[in-house]
Amino acid sequence: MARLLTIEDDAVTAREIVAELKSRGNDVDWVDNGHEGLSRAVEGGYDAITLDRMLPGLDGLAVITALRRAGVQTPVLMISALSDVDERVRGLRAGGDDYLTKPFAPDEMAARVEVLLRRQRAAERETVLRVGDLELDLIERRARRGAMNLELLPIEFRLLEFLVRNSGQVLTRTMIFEAVWGYHFDPGTNVIDVHIGRLRKKVDPPGLAPLIRTVRGSGYRLAETE
Amino acid sequence: MLKLSDHWRSATTRLIFIYGAFFVLWSIVLVAVVYWETNRYLSRVVDEIVEQRVRYLISIDRERLPEAMEATGALDLRGVMSLGLFGSDGRYIDGNIEHVPADLPVDGAIHPLPQGVERRGREERKSARGIAKRLGNGELLVLARDTSVIDQVGVIIRHALLWGLSLTVIPGLIGGLLLSRRPLRRVRAIEAAIEPIAHGDLRRRLPVSGRGDEVDLLAAIVNRMLGEIERLMGEVKGVCDNIAHDLRTPLTRLRAQLHRLQQTGGGEEGVGPMLERCIVDVDALLERFRALLRISELEDLRRRGGFASVDLGETLRQVHELYAPLAEDNAIAFRLESALQTNIQADPHLLFEAFSNLIANAIKFSPHGGKVCVRASMEASGPRVDILDSGPGIPSGERDAVLKRFYRSESGREPAAQGYGLGLSIVAAILRLHGFRMRIDDNETGGTRVSVHCWVEAMPSPHFMR
Repeated sequence: MARLLTIEDDAVTAREIVAELKSRGNDVDWVDNGHEGLSRAVEGGYDAITLDRMLPGLDGLAVITALRRAGVQTPVLMISALSDVDERVRGLRAGGDDYLTKPFAPDEMAARVEVLLRRQRAAERETVLRVGDLELDLIERRARRGAMNLELLPIEFRLLEFLVRNSGQVLTRTMIFEAVWGYHFDPGTNVIDVHIGRLRKKVDPPGLAPLIRTVRGSGYRLAETE
Repeated sequence: MLKLSDHWRSATTRLIFIYGAFFVLWSIVLVAVVYWETNRYLSRVVDEIVEQRVRYLISIDRERLPEAMEATGALDLRGVMSLGLFGSDGRYIDGNIEHVPADLPVDGAIHPLPQGVERRGREERKSARGIAKRLGNGELLVLARDTSVIDQVGVIIRHALLWGLSLTVIPGLIGGLLLSRRPLRRVRAIEAAIEPIAHGDLRRRLPVSGRGDEVDLLAAIVNRMLGEIERLMGEVKGVCDNIAHDLRTPLTRLRAQLHRLQQTGGGEEGVGPMLERCIVDVDALLERFRALLRISELEDLRRRGGFASVDLGETLRQVHELYAPLAEDNAIAFRLESALQTNIQADPHLLFEAFSNLIANAIKFSPHGGKVCVRASMEASGPRVDILDSGPGIPSGERDAVLKRFYRSESGREPAAQGYGLGLSIVAAILRLHGFRMRIDDNETGGTRVSVHCWVEAMPSPHFMR
């Protein structure tokens, strides 16, 4: 169970965020203004923070800037009605770890928070990633499933690496596209599906327990058999 | 650089020439009047002197006449007076005129003698005014006075006219030409300012110099009009954006609720797949609104802050990598022909998005087993990218329309194909932001060819005179 802080002035949105995060077994605190949010965040003890960009008084950018200046490295998901690329860049540059535009699907928001939590836990440098019998050598850029070598294209390796790094998490298509390709627009849903389908053929050949699962209505998850 | 022919045509220059012609004409008329009046006055003075002298000579006794004539000659220091006394038969008696001038009527009135009189002891003949009068005894007295002074005055006035005109008209014309440059320069400045407005940047305004002259008045009128157009456009766009934005929030909530329902199991048999379909539909709706707002955002985005040097070949390679599996799944031969080693000034994210959209479209509209080719080449003005597909093609009449929001071609494209034409509008908005150009025409082997010219079009400088 993770301790999360939600800084959001709009009560409806806040309820949505809190409900979604709680439903996934997290302990969530909510504050509705920047000043209180900043002092709570500095006091520490939180594993991740969701931060609204536009707040009365002290706004989101000021909060994150002050937080990082105070040396607090808690991962922060910025949530904003401003979808402009410039705004995204400013939010991330100020110290935000991820950026989500309103309106958002709660499961997408929760998925992003979970990725941040995971990143927090796995901060140490690993050179080999393992999920079940899948093994990724990040230095040699080689992947193996059990005793079998997987012949992956560079893009497929990057995609698999992202899935493995966040194994067990639901990853939406947007998150996958943003993380693996580094662009922030909608490339059409089935483009990512096709890439995943291709990777799946190589990673999950017939006869082996499938690792890559489709989460209906949301995206994908790589996990060992439940 | 302004050309002379431009000067020649400008309103100021034309006015200056017309004004100059009037000035010359009036100067000539004025000087002519002065000349004529002076001439008349001086002639009258001469006439009075001649009349006075004649009256005097007639009034004295005949015996003393030669003596008086002598005295008159002696008093005439400038030698302008000629006189002669002749018998009734025309025989010479006395004086410095030896013959009665043939063109002088004997009527006692003063007449002009343009040929002058033949005078003893003087070779040249000067124009004069003269009189011939019979004395009581039948003898003839002839008196003439030179009028060359009047001629000289005339010459002086003519010279004054020539000098005066050349000293006013020539510098006046030169000055006028120089002056006419200023309004021309301002017209050029307005032309330059209007260029981005014509390309859709309604926030620009025409320059107003603050002098309050005609050009300023005109610019102010146009600026007021632009302000109003901008306001109206803003309102229309604002309404569209607000609708899209307002609908997005409830749709997102709807999707969240559907998702939650799906997660909690849905209960009854057959509800699961239905929920799944609902979510897919809501997603499609949301996607469309997102695209609509994205276009709007791009149209607002006039910053060039995100511009950087972008490797066009590498961008195309990445787009190819992203879409190659999709093409392969549809059995479409997808080739990238690029040997480009060029960097262009562009927003890397937007450039990628634009080419993604174009290629996604090309793949979407090519039939199973078709061909899509991305061909990058270098032209004299810059790199050019052609995207060729083997789809049904876009009829020439619809090529402009497909760039508009929500357009979907009726011909040959089954409605089942995803995408409501917003993709091309997004591309058009991105390219417009960069100043790049896109052309849609037929591919030689059937299908559509979309050409993107990745160079900033040189401002077409329409010669405003033409």
